[in-house]
Amino acid sequence: MCQKFKSLIRGTKKITILLTIAYFFIFLHSYYPFSDMNRTCFIIPFLFCALLLTGCGDKEVAPPPAEEQPIDTLQTILLKAQQCSRLYTTEFHIHKIVTYDDLISVSGKLFNQDYNLRLPVGHRKVAFPMDATLKGYIDMEQLTPENFTRDGERLTITLPNPQVMMTATKIDQAGVREYVSLTRAHFSDHELSELEHQGREAIIRQIPDYGIAEQARVNAARLLIPLATQLGFREENVTIVFSDDFKPESLTKLVKLNTSGQ
Amino acid sequence: MTIKRTIKFYALCALLLIIVLFVLWQHMRSTTLFSAHIEENKIDITPQQITSIKEIGQWEFLSISEEELVDTTRKGIFSDDHLVRIYKGTLRLGIDLKELSEQNVFIQNDTLFMTLPPIKLLDEHFIDEANTRSFHETGKWKPADRERMYQKAQLMMKQRALTSENYQNAKDYGESQITDLMNNMGFPHVVITFEEASAQ
Repeated sequence: MCQKFKSLIRGTKKITILLTIAYFFIFLHSYYPFSDMNRTCFIIPFLFCALLLTGCGDKEVAPPPAEEQPIDTLQTILLKAQQCSRLYTTEFHIHKIVTYDDLISVSGKLFNQDYNLRLPVGHRKVAFPMDATLKGYIDMEQLTPENFTRDGERLTITLPNPQVMMTATKIDQAGVREYVSLTRAHFSDHELSELEHQGREAIIRQIPDYGIAEQARVNAARLLIPLATQLGFREENVTIVFSDDFKPESLTKLVKLNTSGQ
Repeated sequence: MTIKRTIKFYALCALLLIIVLFVLWQHMRSTTLFSAHIEENKIDITPQQITSIKEIGQWEFLSISEEELVDTTRKGIFSDDHLVRIYKGTLRLGIDLKELSEQNVFIQNDTLFMTLPPIKLLDEHFIDEANTRSFHETGKWKPADRERMYQKAQLMMKQRALTSENYQNAKDYGESQITDLMNNMGFPHVVITFEEASAQ
């Protein structure tokens, strides 16, 4: 909520400065009524100031010359190595275009009547494409000798249920498009980060619909059965089964735990 | 007489006003007089598209979580501009089972010999950019600046995480994990070796 007001205040700065300059010239005029000749002397500087202000605010600034490249410093604030045993069997790539239309509107109640008032203060929009990589995996650390059953030539492996992890996300920075009206400020880095978070959460919410877990199960069997045949088992004698305590609704919880825990 | 009538008129008006105020007060007690809130920043609902589905066989043995603070400064005439962002990423070291060929697994007497593919970084894309935290910003920054910061963070994370100690750690744990799997599958004697990576 505060961000919206900040953007509005920053945007109206330009207008305020212009109005102040205009007021200054009117003030001068009231004290020194000028003739046609020196009126031009006052109007030209005003127009110049106005053009300079409006031009600086919204147009793309030319890239800085090579010698003025920004200086970067990097610092590691967390480095944690952890042993694990995860067998990733499927990989999904998801593409989403996140859009956000920032209109300032006030809603509420007045004498028990709902109202929604759009404030005429200009608006701004942003759109950015983002890609996410999701992987389905089997946690092999959960395997114990009880998960393996040998009956003569027959081998049965009971695998734990697959889990899903969001391993990477990428914002296509070249594809970011931003439209900002004169009275509003550009999107700050903080605002953009917040929108990116929302885009990420939207992808996570939809994970159960993609069928990644099912695909991970099938691929795990396709991976382990050939491995068992290389070890001398006949293909028809190898059975891969999964724990049957799996419910699709539990998948979202697993995904959230995995992504935040990383 | 006129004064009395005027007093009566004003008294009546005052009484009416009191009644109106009382009724309003009673009404206000049971209703919301005024409330207002600005709508939250929420992204639009847009579709998501699956661009590819791949069948993979990556076995991860070491997961290295990193947070990198990237501070970029642009010199100005009057003041400097700053942008500070914290990137998060997880580098995963392990083997690609798709690279395991039939010749790399054989049994001699009662011992199983396995030559596993080399330990490597399983995915070059390991930064969760949408989970980046904006820490500080002054001045105006373009998407190209953010892309440059992302590239730097990626490079730095790789330099700090992909050490020979971590490769060895992943190799040792991988060896114990695969030995356990083979033991459970009925092979009590297992010898595991790893192929050397061509270039790390």
